[in-house]
Formats: sequence, structure tokens, C-alpha cells
Amino acid sequence: MPTHVEGMEMAEMQSSGGYKCALTYTYPHRFWLVTGSRREKVDIKSNDSTHLMPVVWETETGIVPPDINPQVQITQDGESVAQLSPWPMLSQPMGFHFGDNVQLAGDGTYQVEVSIGAPSTRRTGALADNQGQTTFSFEFDFQQSALEEIMYRDIPSDTEGTDGAVDPMGMEMMPSTHVPAEADLPGTVHGSVTSGDAKFVVTTLSDATPFGGREDETYLAVSPRTPYNQYMLPLMSLSGTLSRGNDAIYDDILQSTIDPELGYHYGAVVSGVESGDELAITVDSPPQTARHEGYETAFFEMGEMSVSL
Amino acid sequence: MTDRKGIPRREFLKTAVAIGGTAAFSACLGREEIDVPTGPDDLSSYPQRQHAWNEILPRDDHGNVVAPHHRVLLFLNLQENGPPTEPDRTTVETALEGVEHAYERSGDGLLVTMSYSPAYFDRFDSSLPESVDLPDPEALAPFEDPKLDTPDAVVHLASNHAQVVLGAEEALEGNEATLNGVEQPDAALTDVFEAVDRRTGFIGDGLPAENADVDGVPTDKVPDDAPLFMGFKSGFEKNQASEDRVTIQAGPFANGTTQHISNLRLNLDQWYNQDDRWQREAKMFCPYHAENDVIEGTGDNLGDSSKIDECDPADETAREMGVVGHSQKSVSAREDDQPIILRRDFDSTDDGHAGLHFLALQREISDFVKTREAMNGTDIAEQSAVGQRNNNGILQYIRTQHRGNYLVPPRSLRALPPATPRTDSTQEVANASS
Ligand code: HEM
Repeated sequence: MPTHVEGMEMAEMQSSGGYKCALTYTYPHRFWLVTGSRREKVDIKSNDSTHLMPVVWETETGIVPPDINPQVQITQDGESVAQLSPWPMLSQPMGFHFGDNVQLAGDGTYQVEVSIGAPSTRRTGALADNQGQTTFSFEFDFQQSALEEIMYRDIPSDTEGTDGAVDPMGMEMMPSTHVPAEADLPGTVHGSVTSGDAKFVVTTLSDATPFGGREDETYLAVSPRTPYNQYMLPLMSLSGTLSRGNDAIYDDILQSTIDPELGYHYGAVVSGVESGDELAITVDSPPQTARHEGYETAFFEMGEMSVSL
Repeated sequence: MTDRKGIPRREFLKTAVAIGGTAAFSACLGREEIDVPTGPDDLSSYPQRQHAWNEILPRDDHGNVVAPHHRVLLFLNLQENGPPTEPDRTTVETALEGVEHAYERSGDGLLVTMSYSPAYFDRFDSSLPESVDLPDPEALAPFEDPKLDTPDAVVHLASNHAQVVLGAEEALEGNEATLNGVEQPDAALTDVFEAVDRRTGFIGDGLPAENADVDGVPTDKVPDDAPLFMGFKSGFEKNQASEDRVTIQAGPFANGTTQHISNLRLNLDQWYNQDDRWQREAKMFCPYHAENDVIEGTGDNLGDSSKIDECDPADETAREMGVVGHSQKSVSAREDDQPIILRRDFDSTDDGHAGLHFLALQREISDFVKTREAMNGTDIAEQSAVGQRNNNGILQYIRTQHRGNYLVPPRSLRALPPATPRTDSTQEVANASS
């Protein structure tokens, strides 16, 4: 539970080429970069003006693709002010997003260009067609006083230090970075396990054709999420071993995939699943997203899990 | 240029190349007292390979080639439509020989290559022979959207002395009657070409730190002795293709090579202000190097190789450590355990922004494409915790602005070559060792 919970402001929203983009911002934040299982604290610098978060989502599904790194260019009257490649991040109010602290030249109007490239995570279903490169242009009116206002909207101090995450912001029109609730996942849901504070839900879909398999094969999907808010946990290396008695039916990686129904998940095509099969899930790398306060120690020590199907 | 007196000598010299022009050149002459030997009267002993630089460049204590410190790339368009004429060829050759007479061919003297784009060869009815692989430039990563350069020609000028590249440029543009005491011909590249772009830069210990007062790099963070903005030494002998490996082996353009020139913007605020040393080492080289303190300072202690053999395979560290190094990834493009591109890149402050002109030579442009694909790590990102840019080598910090492909013909064809030169079909590279 963080000592602050922060809101944010949305500067503007734009649509282009199957995507929408909202330029959102809040006051500068400290955060932690993650490389492997290392955590590296990034302090706020005295000249940081704002924490800028360009949120891009697929218009059809509302899914925020963690594999599309928005590139940001900020100018004022034609003069370059800053260029940045925001980090993939996790925060309690926002879930997954891209963001970084930036230095602006004080109050005023800035021109902000957000460019995105083609995806690099596997897409299935209708999303497979969404490949475009596109650019969104914003006018960003930055006022220091607006940031101060956001700061005052903190949660009341009596709930500080208690367990559990804060409520997601639920800003209207914004996409959510939730994955479907356990009950809403397609296929046969086989229950869930917990590791390193994260919850992993397992489901199987009987026809594997949409996932590159055959009709008589099964798609095995693992859907990890944060425990309270059900935010997606992207950028992990997961692998799975499916055993029947002493035989390993499958023993390989679970590939990160974005599917309109399953959301961001990790999966594999297997020959079939029978009741009594055991699935062992290994986290080879924890989520390689930077962390805001509240998630800085979560999702690191993630031991092997086992689910009976 | 106005308050020349107040600027320290070295400080001035670095901006001089970026500014260019007659004033910058004469200011250099006044400030940089050097004695560059003139070139020979008879240039016939000069190698057919315009890119044969390694034999005449100095080497460091470990045997690595020391790249010439100052660079200018001149982008040129022919003034007339259609194929060039014989008199045009004579003009271009005469202008090039003029600067070669003025400065000896060496690191302290002048190195020059002339190259031509696919757009240039489109002027001819016939197309380039099969022995030349020179496609139009294109985006080389799913996440980039570069401008595709299509000048007719690019001249690459290189020297350890700022005044030499500037002087050569001025003379090639017909602005100098004598250069280094040598009378210049009444022929200039600008008689047939129009200069459409000018890109400049530098490489070498200390130069990036001195040039760090631009956007895209924190001024006080680049190590004082680093040869490149990102802080590490590059271009180790064992991590470069040999000149033989990048030379075209057969056909009329044998002894030529192909050249890819991209311009990459650097955003090093995160690199220096947010990442730590461990992350920089892991992302540039590999996690093994970071874990085991293999690299001291800029990496001079590595000797003549990046010691990349000690790293685990890229896909393995991507899966198990969630990060993969730039050098570690690039290795997968090797053939016979040797890189297939010869990197002659250099840093830049063009347009007031930190950047890098990535100039690479290879036998075929497809060798570059293959190497860049390895660097993209798209397959690795698909199969692991490594992101499209995040923890994916140095992709987080660079953004491709321009790409262009060129043919560097052999010396005998360097002046406006036809697409299908007539040859006594036996022309082949004598020492085709690779
Ligand atoms: C900011 C840009 C870049 C920097 C600072 C950089 C730096 C480095 C460094 C420090 C090394 C290891 C030392 C060495 O082997 O020389 C290296 C290796 C290498 N880089 Fe880059 N590089 C950059 C861009 C590129 C690009 C655009 C390519 C082309 C696709 C490339 C291709 C390679 C190759 C082929 C190797 C050697 C791999 C091997 O040993 O097989 N680099 N680079």
C-alpha cells in the first residue's frame, strides 16, 4: 500500500489507424526500473516537470498493447523540448502503462507527438490485422498548478499502510488494463494459483485453430494478474510442463499473446488435456516493467506453481 | 564564429566541422597548426578499393584500427536529368584527384570514398549487374519509420584533423584555388552536382564529452575518455568484418562494396540518469559482462574483442534474465564466426541533437539487413520477457531517422559509373580469401 495515491489528468484523446491514444500526465514520480530480478530506483530530479503517460489502446478491444512502445516528441513553437521513449510500467492506480518523468520549459502550450510502430507480441483473432504505424498529435497545455491539484486529491491518511491495492482510477473513456475476471475467461477455467503476489488463472480452449494449432488440439492459456485489481502482468518469461502420470505431454515456453477474448496472456498449443493432468508453471523472468511505488517489491520472487487440471 | 578568440582551440575545432564553410576552414587553419604531407603527383598506386582504409590507419595498443576522428558526408544530386556525360565524369574525377594531390592518403591526411545510390543507377536504361546487391532503402524494423534517402551520390570525407575534412570539402565545392599548398584543378563536384545535405560528426576518445552540450545527452555524464556518446569503445578488431569480407568479389564492380548510411537519434537521459552501470553494461554487451565486471571504464581493457564468446546465447539470457545485450544479439548475424558488416559509424551533433551516423560496409546490402534484424531481436522479444525496446539491447535509446543504400564502386569507376560498365569479363578480385 503506497503512502500516496495519485490521480492524473488527461490532456487530450485522439484516434488513428485502429488505435486511440490519450495523453495523460501527473506530477513527477519516483519509480524503479527492472532488469531481470534487479530493481533500480529512479529518483525525481529537481527539474522534472511532470510524469507523462501516453496511453495507446486498440479501439476494437480496448486492450493496451504492452509491446507497442510509444515514442514521444515534445516541441514548443517548433523548438525541440524533449524526446522520450517512455518505459513500460505498473502502478496501482493505472495498472500497466508507459511513462517517464520529463523536463518541460515551465507553464505553457506544448506540441506533443506520439508515434507507434507495429507490434512484436503475437496477436490472435481479430487483432492479428492491427499492424499499422501511426502518429498522434496533441496540444498539451501544461500548468504547474494543475499538478498541485492532482496531488491534493490524495487518499485520506487513515487508510494508509493497510493491506491491499488502491482502487483503479476508472477514468471515463480510458481503457482498462485489466484482464478478464476468472469467471469471464473463455474455455474451461481450471482454477488459479498464486506466486510472488500474482494470481495465475489457467484455462483451456478445445479448438486450437485460432492459436496456430489444429481443431483436435487444445490451447492452454495462463492469465496472470495483480491480486486485487486484476491488472495484466506483461513482459514475463513463462514456461509450462503438462504431465499425465509420468509423461510430459508438453514441456516448453508459454508464449505471450494478445487475444481479444483472453486479453494479454501466455499460452501454448497442446495435444489435449485430461482431468487429473498436472500443469507446472515456471516464471523464468518476472515482469520486466518498471514499478511505481506500491509495486516495487511485488512480483519478483515467483516460485514454481502447480495446478491440477 | 564571431567571438573566435574566446573559444578554446579544441572546442572550436569540433564545432568548425559541424558549421562548415570557408570561414570555418580558414579559422581552423589559423588555430590548428599542423603539417599534413601532400599526396603524390602520380595516384596510380592507390588501391582499387576505395574502402581500403585499415592498412593505412593507425592501430591502438591492442591492434584495433583507430577510426579517423572527423567526418563529413556530402549528399549530392546531379544537376541534370538523365545519365551523366563523359565530360561530367572527367570533372568529378579531376575534382577528387585535386584533393588527393593536396593531402596524403592516411589517418592524419585525407580518406575519401565516393558512393552512388539506387536512384542514381535508375538514370540508366540497363540495370546493375547481379553481382551487385543494392536495393532501394527501406525501414528495417517493425517499429521504425525512417526517411528514405535518395540523393544520387554521397562523398565520405574522413581525417584526424578537422581542417583536412573542411579543406577537402571546400575544394570539392570549388572554393579553394590552392589546398595545403597544392594548386586545385578548375573542376568541382558542384559543377555537375548540387549539394543537398551535409552530415558531420566525430569519433574518438574525449570528443563526445566535449560535444555533449546538445539535446539528447546529459551534458556532464558522458565519460571524459569515451570515444562514443554511449560511453563504450566500439569497433574491436575481432568484432568487425574484414575488408575482404565486405568487398564485392566479381563482375564489373569487383573491389567495390556496398554502404548503408543511417542516422540514429540518441536519447541518453534515461541511459545516464536512470539506468545504472550494471544495466548499461548488460544492455550494451550482455548480462554476463555486467555480473562479472568484465568491462572497466569504456572497455579498453577488453583488448581486441568484446569478449562476447563469454556471454550465454541471447535467447537464453532473454528468457532467464529478461534482458539481452546489443553485442550479444548482433553476434547471431555472423558467418564463419565473423561479423559480416564493417562498421565505420561516428557520433554527431547535427541539428543540435545527439546522434549517430551509422555507416556500414558490407558485400551485399542484405548482409546489413540480416545484421539489423539480429539487432532488432524481434524473435527474442516474441519469445521472452524482453520487450520491443525494453531491455532489448540499446533499442530503447535510439530512433532511426534516415536510411540510405549506396554502392562504393572500385576506384576506376568512382566518377559517375554507368550501371553496366564494359569490362574484360575476367575482372575478379585477386585475393578472394573470403
Ligand atoms: C548507438 C548506436 C550503436 C552503438 C553505441 C553501438 C555499440 C556497439 C558496441 C560497444 C559493440 C561491442 C564492441 C564491438 O564489437 O565493437 C557493438 C557491436 C556490434 N554492433 Fe553496434 N552499436 C550501435 C549500433 C549498431 C547498429 C545500428 C548496428 C547494425 C545493425 C550494429 C551492429 C553491431 C555489430 C554487427 C556488432 C558486432 C557483433 C559481433 O561481434 O559479431 N550496431 N556495437
